[in-house]
Amino acid sequence: MSRNVSGQAYGLTVLTPILDGHLQELTEHLEALPEGPDSPLARVPGTHLARWVVIDQVKYQGHGQRHRDALSASRLLFTSNFDGPLDPYLQALRTGLAEDADAVWSHCRGYPGHHEGTAFASYLRAHALEAALFFAAYGGHTLEQVRSNLDERARLIEFALGAQGLGAADLKARFQEAFPA
Amino acid sequence: MGNVEGRSTAITVLTPYKPTGRLLLPIVFWIGRHVTATLKKLQMLSFIHYARWVIVKRFPDGGDGERLRYPYLMFESNFNGSWDQYIDAFSEVVPTRMKGIWGTSYGFPGPIPVEPFKDYIRANEYVANHYYNAYPGATTTEIISAAKVAAALDDLRARAPSLSPDAFKAAYEDMLTSIQNDL
Repeated sequence: MSRNVSGQAYGLTVLTPILDGHLQELTEHLEALPEGPDSPLARVPGTHLARWVVIDQVKYQGHGQRHRDALSASRLLFTSNFDGPLDPYLQALRTGLAEDADAVWSHCRGYPGHHEGTAFASYLRAHALEAALFFAAYGGHTLEQVRSNLDERARLIEFALGAQGLGAADLKARFQEAFPA
Repeated sequence: MGNVEGRSTAITVLTPYKPTGRLLLPIVFWIGRHVTATLKKLQMLSFIHYARWVIVKRFPDGGDGERLRYPYLMFESNFNGSWDQYIDAFSEVVPTRMKGIWGTSYGFPGPIPVEPFKDYIRANEYVANHYYNAYPGATTTEIISAAKVAAALDDLRARAPSLSPDAFKAAYEDMLTSIQNDL
């Protein structure tokens, strides 16, 4: 099994080289993206938590590290924790992000655009890294299940507060109304 | 932008490691994957949603990858609570594992005392330029609790039609008792 998998959860790590001269524009674009439910990533089904991070350069650790390292090109890191498997998710990324995918990755070398599914998926696969260790606290639960469970829990708390002191017959009737079989 | 979305915080760290790490890290992570104690320890840190470590021997470039003088270790985590609490917990609960993982990274001061460890993480951290969380209002504990609640609720929901009102009331109260710590 892939090291990127825990339960049904998949951890995708993609590092793409940023085109010369595009660092600032890409950074500004990412930082201006709408957040929360308006984030373009909200349109990609199965995405639990995801991020884009600009890695402008690797960091030097001081004299313990004898040589200074330098990337020839800054990198864009994309990580996503989503409902696997990978192939359908890459398609979901392409169709869900659509033009937003181009607005981000067109700043990266070799990006083919989102219109051609195979090329888009191949590009992300070619720049993906495998995790050495991937941890998912609730990797057995899909996004839909997580949201549904949270909703059920909230509804039950509300029900239990309102049902205090009810007789048995009323309690059963109200429960079955609120939570039909 | 930023590392916070709702109740979750993102952390992204990239550090170069020494030649000894080339030998040790595969063993450390093999143990992490195959000896459940490591994952259980992470589970004990009940505020982590997802976390990963990635060994970067070559930075992808569409070809063979760009090889720097040193290999790099990437750490990505999503957690709820503050950054300080998170690093404190790593330092207190899993110091041996932290030492195993970052012990071959240049400049790593050790997980204890915690302040130099925090300085190290801070110095090697990259801030997310865009961070998305599909359930920003929920903590890891709430998500795990909600799964238990939903399972108990589904069970009672299925049984309810066949129970008399008194038997239902008893079953309902039993259910609430069984999940009281998850509500």
